[in-house]
Amino acid sequence: MGLQRVFVTGIGIVSSIGNDAPAVVGSLRALKHGFEPFAPQNAKIPSDVKLAGTVKGFDVSSPDFEDWTLPAPYRIRRDVMRSLPPHGPYVHVAMSQAIESAGLEEPDISNLDTGMYTSSGGSTRLIHQNTTRLHQMGPMRCPPTGIVASIAGTLSFNLVAQFKIRGNSCGFSSACASSGHAIGFAYDDIALGRQKRMFVAAGEDLNDESLLPFAGMRALSLEGDPQRASCPFDKSRNGFVSTGGGAVLILESEEEVLRRGARPYAELLGWGQASDGHNVAMSHPEGVGLVAAMQRALRSASLDAGEVEYINAHATSTLVGDLSEGRAIREVFAKQGHVPKVSSTKALTGHGLSLASALEASIVSLSMKEGFTPGSAHIRDLDPEFEGVNVIRETLSEAPKIALSNSSGFGGANVSLVFKQV
Amino acid sequence: MSNEATSTNQNQSPSDPSADELLKETLKRCSPETITAALAFRQSGDISLVPTVVLGIVERFLEPEVVDTLKSGDDSVRFMEDLGMDSLTMFEAIMMVEESLGVSIKNEELWDLRTVGDLKTFIAAKLSGVEVVAQAKSFPIEQIAAVMPQQEPFLFLQSAEIDGAKAKGAYTISGKEGFLKGHFKGDPVFPASIMLEALGQLGVFHFLTTDDSASEGAGSSIYFTGADGVRCSRVCRPGDTLELSVELKRRRDPLVVYSGKITVAGEKAASAEEISLIVAPAEGASASGAKE
Repeated sequence: MGLQRVFVTGIGIVSSIGNDAPAVVGSLRALKHGFEPFAPQNAKIPSDVKLAGTVKGFDVSSPDFEDWTLPAPYRIRRDVMRSLPPHGPYVHVAMSQAIESAGLEEPDISNLDTGMYTSSGGSTRLIHQNTTRLHQMGPMRCPPTGIVASIAGTLSFNLVAQFKIRGNSCGFSSACASSGHAIGFAYDDIALGRQKRMFVAAGEDLNDESLLPFAGMRALSLEGDPQRASCPFDKSRNGFVSTGGGAVLILESEEEVLRRGARPYAELLGWGQASDGHNVAMSHPEGVGLVAAMQRALRSASLDAGEVEYINAHATSTLVGDLSEGRAIREVFAKQGHVPKVSSTKALTGHGLSLASALEASIVSLSMKEGFTPGSAHIRDLDPEFEGVNVIRETLSEAPKIALSNSSGFGGANVSLVFKQV
Repeated sequence: MSNEATSTNQNQSPSDPSADELLKETLKRCSPETITAALAFRQSGDISLVPTVVLGIVERFLEPEVVDTLKSGDDSVRFMEDLGMDSLTMFEAIMMVEESLGVSIKNEELWDLRTVGDLKTFIAAKLSGVEVVAQAKSFPIEQIAAVMPQQEPFLFLQSAEIDGAKAKGAYTISGKEGFLKGHFKGDPVFPASIMLEALGQLGVFHFLTTDDSASEGAGSSIYFTGADGVRCSRVCRPGDTLELSVELKRRRDPLVVYSGKITVAGEKAASAEEISLIVAPAEGASASGAKE
């Protein structure tokens, strides 16, 4: 049996720029960001961070999950909610949206040929709460769902059980490349005929504990003006704006697409990954790992560099990261005489660790189906370092036929996904 | 049960106002009556308040549609089957009961609390310092299958409960039993002989679970040797749950004799005045009957 073709057939998004796909498309077309003023929930934390990509309509700020509220019409039962991290409700809702958009029935979801890969950093907030309670009151006063709600892998435990998934399941953990890896390996499972359908679910908390430690790395923007706070490729970029949320993609084999008569968002043609082997938290200055990841992705998809029309860059709006990606793009494309369009949608959404890659893969798939190419917002003065890179500053009313979506995580883990318009 | 880190209500003096506040915080999603009863219990130690507190805590964990079942006042209401509570919810509720009433419940005690009545009795006994009366012990199918010589597809016991000399059990006729194809053609009737077999199996399970000699390999050499006074009064079909019960009548080694009966939805289905089992030494298996 040859490789199966793989299609994106379902998408669910809860993000700073919208709580469903139509809202996200609206924001991308209008270049509307999702940032709001942020102040630590615990007022005693001294912090200069002023903005965050907030998720509207959900309130998961209470340390007690029974206080959490969801926007109508979503509702989650108490016994489902109790083992979720604060980002759990975002992803749970995104799951429902994805299932609906793909038109899946329950038997399509719960069978041995349908699996789920997830990525989430876990919940540092809940880990802190649980260990505090452990120290104060002993193990027998710790909530019985405390571990499954907090550790990395929490999305897998919860969603696989709650949606009765019976195929392959696993949680992926490579920081900002996590959900890229999850999508890549889900692609492999379908292409190799191991599974017919895969859910890829990603999410992150947005609270003091998940956001503020990035300030200690000097990775967050301390700007109060949203236009200046997240401006990838701009000369005066100063770090990223953090976000939380959830994104779910459903990948299916061609056979399943035809059998169900589904209308895919896009085809996932292949992917590639490679590591920098350089620094625990910084990208290689020349982007060597990302160069290799993009080249491998193209090889996996049997494409020439010249066929790529658009790259959704990882570009978080940090100096080191953006520059190394710019150089990597020049290396793979400009040197071969091609200048694909490039943008970073993080200027609008913010950056959400494990969520990033799935969110951006969803955005690329949506743009292909809806017929647009999202622009890179908030650029006043393009950094001269990006000369020779075709950074688009407006959303274009035409979709790319072939697009890459890049992600780079801590330790120099790089993933590049290749999508094709259908 | 909140994940929130709050300090315990235990080991506080009853007059401590902050302890009252903590208790209210612990019980914050319970009804006002529950909180009032818990506060009053703390003051007075009046055990008659315990059921109000315990039921109030259970109620707060329930989905709205089963609250009426809990409030029916029926002590036989089961937490898992009737109220939809899973073991994690039980842990949550128990932790809240422990915090509110200042008791501590061990894991092995928790396993035996299956009904609202069990819980009420247990907590009240705990608080009054009275020795807890041994509860009927329940066994899931996994445990039954591990003990019994009979196995699929010839095991007609899916759950069992042992209480002294008595045992109860249940078997739901799935309709997939192979013999139903021919008993009878186009008319699946659960055979009376298999009903008797099911009662015999419950007797075997009772014997093996309560008798010390069981550990010495009796499980592989216990046989059906006779049945007296057998009556069948109802036809049983797929979908029916046979409610089995046996009671030990006498034991004169190597014979063990039980009486037994079967009901379906409370309706009498079959009875046997005597079911005799013979516990034979492993190599001396008698030729008196098929191996049970």
